[in-house]
Amino acid sequence: MDQPDPIIHQPARLKIMAALRALPSREQLEFVRLKAIVGMTDGNLGAHIVTIEEAGYLEVEKDFVGKKPRTRVRLTKAGRRAFENYVAFLREIVGNESS
Amino acid sequence: MSIPPQEAAHALRDIEHAQRHSAGAYRDQKFSPHLFLWGAIWIVGYAGTYIWPGASAIWLALVPIGMIGSFWMGSRGAGDRSRAFSGWQYAATALAIFLFISALMAILPPKSGAQIGALIPVLVAFFYAVVGVWTRGTRIALLGLALGVLTVGGYFWLPQYFLLWMAGVGGGALILGGFWLRRV
Repeated sequence: MDQPDPIIHQPARLKIMAALRALPSREQLEFVRLKAIVGMTDGNLGAHIVTIEEAGYLEVEKDFVGKKPRTRVRLTKAGRRAFENYVAFLREIVGNESS
Repeated sequence: MSIPPQEAAHALRDIEHAQRHSAGAYRDQKFSPHLFLWGAIWIVGYAGTYIWPGASAIWLALVPIGMIGSFWMGSRGAGDRSRAFSGWQYAATALAIFLFISALMAILPPKSGAQIGALIPVLVAFFYAVVGVWTRGTRIALLGLALGVLTVGGYFWLPQYFLLWMAGVGGGALILGGFWLRRV
């Protein structure tokens, strides 16, 4: 990777991707829990999720628990791969600096 | 677009922090149903043996129910086989605990029901404390510490009401701990 992935490079989206990558694959995270983990507002998080979803890195599932709406998100395979590549890219930069 | 090394290092730290937070919240959330289950079992078991002192055999039914329930909760919904614990690990852990407690009882046989009633919660508390420390699960470690203190405190200071104490305070602490772990 010569250039950082512009979707993941944004710090807030990087946090979101990192938080989701920490879960086992196919595991979903509720929007409210993700919001608490990354410390963002509803609107901010929602906007970033749309951007990541449009890139194909994230899947959003909406349903109801009783009468209460629930939104859950999870990384796609492409999202996990893109995140791993991005982390490798960062490590390479840090490694080149220290060697 | 190039990234300065300092910025890359900062981003890696942010990633590590977010992943640790997320993984910890996920682990705690998965652990909480076990606390609800065992909290309910403690309430029924201890209250039952307090009200009917001859009914200690109730534990012979409650403990297997708890183990099967924990096994089922632990093995369901594990999407990533490479990271989740597999069924045999839960079964082997339950067997190891059972054998350990059996050996302990054989070597140091308790002289009263209250001793058995205190010994097992202290072992559970020790287990939570160690698991919490080794997985950086602060809340699990604190729960273990609280459970140990409450058990030992009740055993020495409220011997007459110890079983009732363990039903209300011990079982209640587990259930409250379950709610606490659900919070992010």
